[in-house]
Amino acid sequence: MKQPASEAQHGGPDAAATSEPPTPATTASSTSAARSTEEKGGWRALGLRLDVRNLSLLGVLAALIIVGGITKPDQFLDTNNLQLVLTQASVIGVVTVGMTFVITSGGIDLSVGAIVALASVWATTLATQEYGFAGILFTAVVVGLGCGLVNGLLIAYGGMVPFIATLAMLASARGLALQLTDGKTQIVTVNSVLDLGIPDSYILGIPPLVLVFAAVTVIGWLVLNRTTFGRRTVAVGGNAEAARLAGIDVRRQRLYLYLLSGLCCGIAAFLLIILAGSGQNTNGNLYELDAIAAAIIGGTLLSGGRGTIVGSVLGVLVFTTITNIFALNNLQSDVQQIAKGAIIVAAVLVQRRTLRNGEA
Amino acid sequence: MPETSRRGLLFGTAAISAGAFLTACTSNEPDKKEPAANTQPAAADDKPGAPVTIGFAGPQADHGWLNAINENAKSRAAKYSEVTLDITEGSNDTAAQIGQVETLINKKVDVLVILPADGKALTQVGLKAMRAGIPVINLDRIFADPQAYRCWVGGDNYGMGVSAGNYIGEKLKDKPNAKVIELAGIDNLELTQQRTQGFDDALKNFPNIKKVARQAADFTVESGQAKMAQLLQAQPSFDALWNHDDDQGVGALRAIQQAGRDGFLMVGGAGAKAAMDAIKADNSVLKATVLYPPTMAASAIDLARALGQAKGVSGLAELEIPASLTCYSAVVDKENVDQYLPTGFS
Amino acid sequence: MSGITKIFPGVRALDGVDLEVQAGEVHCLLGQNGAGKSTLIKVLAGAHQPDGGVITWQGEEVTLKSPVAAMKLGIATIYQELDLVEGLSVAENIFLGHEPTTAGFVVRGREARSSATALLKRLGHPEIQAHRPVGSLSAAQQQIVSMARALSHDVRLIVMDEPSAALDPDEVDNLFRVVATLTADNVAVIYISHRLEEIRRIGDRVTVIKDGRTVAVALPAKETPTREVVALMTGRNVEYVFPERPAPTTAAPAEPVLRVEGLARHGEFEPVDLELRPGEIVGLAGLVGSGRSEILETIYGARKPSAGRVLVNGTPLRPGSVPAAVRAGLGLAPEERKAQGLLMLESVTRNVTVSSLSRFARIGWLDHSAERAEARAATRELSLRPDNPDVPIRTLSGGNQQKAVLARWLLRGCRVLLLDEPTRGVDVGARAELYAVIRRLADEGLAVLLVSSEVPEVLGLADRVLVLREGRIVHRAPAQELDEHRVLDLVMEGSPTP
Repeated sequence: MKQPASEAQHGGPDAAATSEPPTPATTASSTSAARSTEEKGGWRALGLRLDVRNLSLLGVLAALIIVGGITKPDQFLDTNNLQLVLTQASVIGVVTVGMTFVITSGGIDLSVGAIVALASVWATTLATQEYGFAGILFTAVVVGLGCGLVNGLLIAYGGMVPFIATLAMLASARGLALQLTDGKTQIVTVNSVLDLGIPDSYILGIPPLVLVFAAVTVIGWLVLNRTTFGRRTVAVGGNAEAARLAGIDVRRQRLYLYLLSGLCCGIAAFLLIILAGSGQNTNGNLYELDAIAAAIIGGTLLSGGRGTIVGSVLGVLVFTTITNIFALNNLQSDVQQIAKGAIIVAAVLVQRRTLRNGEA
Repeated sequence: MPETSRRGLLFGTAAISAGAFLTACTSNEPDKKEPAANTQPAAADDKPGAPVTIGFAGPQADHGWLNAINENAKSRAAKYSEVTLDITEGSNDTAAQIGQVETLINKKVDVLVILPADGKALTQVGLKAMRAGIPVINLDRIFADPQAYRCWVGGDNYGMGVSAGNYIGEKLKDKPNAKVIELAGIDNLELTQQRTQGFDDALKNFPNIKKVARQAADFTVESGQAKMAQLLQAQPSFDALWNHDDDQGVGALRAIQQAGRDGFLMVGGAGAKAAMDAIKADNSVLKATVLYPPTMAASAIDLARALGQAKGVSGLAELEIPASLTCYSAVVDKENVDQYLPTGFS
Repeated sequence: MSGITKIFPGVRALDGVDLEVQAGEVHCLLGQNGAGKSTLIKVLAGAHQPDGGVITWQGEEVTLKSPVAAMKLGIATIYQELDLVEGLSVAENIFLGHEPTTAGFVVRGREARSSATALLKRLGHPEIQAHRPVGSLSAAQQQIVSMARALSHDVRLIVMDEPSAALDPDEVDNLFRVVATLTADNVAVIYISHRLEEIRRIGDRVTVIKDGRTVAVALPAKETPTREVVALMTGRNVEYVFPERPAPTTAAPAEPVLRVEGLARHGEFEPVDLELRPGEIVGLAGLVGSGRSEILETIYGARKPSAGRVLVNGTPLRPGSVPAAVRAGLGLAPEERKAQGLLMLESVTRNVTVSSLSRFARIGWLDHSAERAEARAATRELSLRPDNPDVPIRTLSGGNQQKAVLARWLLRGCRVLLLDEPTRGVDVGARAELYAVIRRLADEGLAVLLVSSEVPEVLGLADRVLVLREGRIVHRAPAQELDEHRVLDLVMEGSPTP
């Protein structure tokens, strides 16, 4: 099989000689048969390169599963635990999908945790709860979108640096959440919401939260890889000036991206309300760091221009699985934190090595 | 949406103000008693005395318990017509809080009540106030130097653990090989370590009981749910659970409900209203909670008023108020829940 | 130095450069932007490792493995962007990395300050106080500090990269005095500048490089005529083959597709009027800083004009909006191809299709195989090599990268192509092919506005030429009526000519 990508990397411009001889300008139709076979080769090569990046994380995940299986065979390898890990990954997972888009575009969103807190609190006030299921869902999503809109306007049209704009949003959204609650826990009494968190509502053994997470992941993947929106996101992150001069409306794209992140936060807030049966201003604590860490170990470039939803989701699963294994083994927070840090470093090192070997 | 949500804000304030009218933390009886030793005219009572201005500085009320502290202080002060309460905006930033206390010193308030965001870090400003002749009531988080306060009023974290341990021990003492698990609070706080230590020490009195697992959450509902879910998965069966904090207990109860588990006894901590309601309803695994009473703030106001009026405390023989007051961590269960329900915070 | 070669992915930055510098002389290095000057001095400074060639230092062959190694030999470099730490004091900056210390780590601040004062005095600038933070100094003073730092090592050769660029005339005089002091101490100086008059004043000998090659070695700086030097810098050293212009037709000329009316940007260029007809190539000739790129980018909407308007087929464009310009059929191949034109992490396909994404999309949904097929058709039409649209764009040579940018606009179906230095960083051999492509696009009906600092390129490729100096169009003429010398005179007018 041909490996056009790696071949060209070695040879640089001279590789043209070893590749196909340059054909003179031809009409698109006359060589379509020959091209379709090449296309497959090309796509496979691209697909392989993607896989190499995710492979290392899959390896880490597999190693974790082995550790879990050896140390706690009964509790770890069990359907309940699988449901547990996936459920716990859902909230932060949805946030991470949005974060992946923002980072891919060369931005950052530090306000995700605060937006989740504000949305979850606003959606669980007594007044909102009067409107039942729809009221809670609607409020959570609208608050998320609203915060994303403010972020997006400040960054895209106000010329603020994403770090600063979203840091300001972090502070004010947390403050507003505190003001709404006075530090009190708002218990949810709407049964149609609460019921989504208990096993009776599982569909074919899959918790609804996990289904939402899966749907967000699939949609996120399709949008990033198969739509003009995704392509523009990558272009803006890869070289904003080049994207602008190529005719892309970079500012509008940025606005949409922070809206998207806000939307994901709103959905995550709704999931969190289901999970915790309440809204609290301390919700979403440090989600920004967890989401960024998951995206980065997943292979998304912090400088932008390259993003992978699959990698991000694997990153989230790695973190959730670590927490699970440590809790099952009754290890305390200090050990958990040390190990988490070590695993971030290890994952990134392994990834870089695999990446280098993959390209060499 | 905004105008509708404002209504939600009012939720629960009624309960707080009701609770504040109750007496201080150690009291097990309604506050009808009049001091027997009426020969001491210097003891403070409910009648208006000389005017007193009390400065109050606390941390940001981002947690139900801290919010209850503020509410208790405010409503207690409102009860006395001659007391003016000068309350600062809460702050978790040490530097900001120092500034707030210094402002109160400059205003020459009569007495200061300080609940520091960080006890050690605010010691110097406490000393400064004392040297300026303003007596300080140090609330809960203790200063590093006893000279920095005239009186310390606070809870007993170690005692909380002991109470929880003894309560669970009594309930399980006839059960061979009983298993207990612990859902702790934020692990890098000293108070969490003290609670765990007290709990472990109390359990030593019951050789048939073994603590099989412990995980630390971080005082939030979300973390309570997450950590409890993991604990439940790790322990297919156990007999009792102590949860350090009723706020995170909301999440823990949710996780228990989601896992469809029962057959064990759960004891909470701090004394939230939601927890007491559940204890009273007696329809969940939550059977008791150990107090860390926010009414200590009301007591602090009482002591500050007595200090400002140069009086002692009624019911005690002393001419002066005490130098320290440790609130007892009572266990609230179905038997006595009605008595404590008004002090529960939300 | 002889036969120095440095190859970067896709381009030969240095292709056998020779340079010989004698102790105590001021040796000037001349060359256009992108000729390879900065690469050469980075090789000298040990920041780049050459891929070929020999460096001989005081009679011995040496390799400069790192900046520290170069420094140890006594080679110091003062870069255009001064590498000073603004928050530190003058003395701390001068001795950064080799502070006088006690027991290896305690900095003897007083000694550092007194040595620094002595160095500054030697450079004729005793007024710069050693304890002041560097950030509070003027650009000229900072440069002196940089020089003092170089002198704080036992330096035998100082490389100065455009040291006068940020200086006032008075300060330049000062600088020259310092250079004279240095050469009097038998220190050699390599002086890089665009300003020929400066070179005449202080230079001893001149080496000219172009396209990564030495085109003239050791010319006497004071005697060589300006015109000869400029011709060496900008002129052809290889016979470019320019495509033939189409025979003039007798038919009435087509309506202009692009009309620029009184377009101006405050401080950058004065009102410009120009017309562009389908099939026509118009060249803008001018030096760096004459406002040529700015005009192009303002037409394109990437900069907002302070006056005037741009019309495409008679319809005015929304000022300052790139998307509007692109929708109207404009396309730009920017000056800095890598920084402004390309998505370096992406494949050729994605670089080509980035401006026409909606073509391959139905409600935002991309059809990857159609995208790839059309990208390939467009790149084939321009004979882009390798003939594989999946390779990463960064692996392509400069000429092929430029073709990818052209393919982008070809695919978009644009009517007006704005080309800013289209052959910069393109190997000499690949240029002719690029010229042929541009001419063919024009023949197919595109209107092309070409900016280039290479006069022969403008003359050879364009039909009409506008000469630009200091933000003003000073001459318009058909290309056939101009020759290189005439254009150079127009471009350089006002500069002192001996």
